[in-house]
Amino acid sequence: MAKIRNDYEHSWWPRLLQWLEDGSTRLDDELTAEMDESREGHLLPTHEDVAAHEAKLEERRNQKLADELAMYAHAHEWTRTKGAKLANWAYRIMSVVICVSIIWVLLQTAAYLPPFGSPDNPVNNEVSQRYIEKGMEETGAVNIVAGMILDYRAFDTLGESNVLFIAACSVLILLRVSSDKHDPTSVHQLEVEADDRMYEPKNDIILQHTVAFLVPVILLFGVYGVMNGHISPGGGFSGGAIMGAALILYLNAFGFKRTERFFTFKTFKTVSVCALSFYAISKAYSFFTGANHLHSFITPGTPGKLFSAGLIPYLNIAVGAVVCCTMYAFYTHFRKGDM
Amino acid sequence: MLDTIRFIISLLLTLAGLFVLLSGVVGIFKFKYSLSRIHAGALFDTAGIVLMVLGVIVGQGFDLTSLKMLIIIGILWLTSPVSGHLIGRLEITINDELEKDMVVMDERMVRHEKEGD
Repeated sequence: MAKIRNDYEHSWWPRLLQWLEDGSTRLDDELTAEMDESREGHLLPTHEDVAAHEAKLEERRNQKLADELAMYAHAHEWTRTKGAKLANWAYRIMSVVICVSIIWVLLQTAAYLPPFGSPDNPVNNEVSQRYIEKGMEETGAVNIVAGMILDYRAFDTLGESNVLFIAACSVLILLRVSSDKHDPTSVHQLEVEADDRMYEPKNDIILQHTVAFLVPVILLFGVYGVMNGHISPGGGFSGGAIMGAALILYLNAFGFKRTERFFTFKTFKTVSVCALSFYAISKAYSFFTGANHLHSFITPGTPGKLFSAGLIPYLNIAVGAVVCCTMYAFYTHFRKGDM
Repeated sequence: MLDTIRFIISLLLTLAGLFVLLSGVVGIFKFKYSLSRIHAGALFDTAGIVLMVLGVIVGQGFDLTSLKMLIIIGILWLTSPVSGHLIGRLEITINDELEKDMVVMDERMVRHEKEGD
């Protein structure tokens, strides 16, 4: 109660009332005190006063500094001895607790999974039945997975290719160093990147001979994987990754000068954009005709032939090109900052 | 009878491969310096892989798949020693205290590596 009354008396309304009634006593008091001081000649402090004041301040500052230093020393000592021990214990306990809780969660999840191979499992629904029974007939792809990802769910695969492309764009934004010879910052950055690669073994004759034998084989295998994606295991993503790996191997053996002859930033741009636009446009045509029951010139063809399964081989080539270029671009940008 | 003999040969080959791989792993963890470790790692790869794959080929019988496995042996024989060689070169290039860790036989070669091509 007393506090509330105090608060009330100190708020502006009662003070205003008091001032209206008999003037502000406090203001008057302060004014008179100041007048007294000035009357006694204390308005300008003397030399000794200033010195004493400074000394006092200095002493106080030193005291504070010493206190602070002692506190720091204590904290330092504590972290080295007791704190380290405590942190060690906490770390061990927390690691065990986190491990056990993750194990518990995973085991609980596993306990709720349906039994393996049971016909009543939720995966055995009409969707997968349709894919397995009519996939080859409708898409023309012997490899059911290729028929699924590039025909039934082609829109989803376009999204995946775009994700790769966007990731490559982000890497470009973050890591690309402009190869402008007149800009001092970019020249400096290029020098730093080159310094990073100084200790890498260059022009290794053993590696070069091995690579000259291996890279054509690997590239051929990648192309085989892409082209036969609708007939045998493989497809755009895996074949493209193999081709990108072959390019990276070639780059490691022979250096940037040799690869720049056939793969520059311009090539990357052209190939990626062309492949993605071809994918989008051809699939748009296929969706449009399919949804409106129009006649489409894309036919499944004879399953098992190389040029069959409608759009699937061409879409595989597009996806493979995007994946290959993206992998190579990642590698070059993380290593050199440019292509 | 023939099947039993084949199984035994395949088992022996696989076990020999396992022994080689195991000794290589022990070597990798036992040696102290990276070059000695590369020595262990690059050697056990070649012998262990060929023994294991030969064991599989013998156990399965010779057909087209075995030919593919032979190609796998060829690829691994090509790549594994080359990667070991490259890691060794990198180690020589960047380790400034090579003499402390081991006896350097060819000073000139090491200097040439360090100065770069």
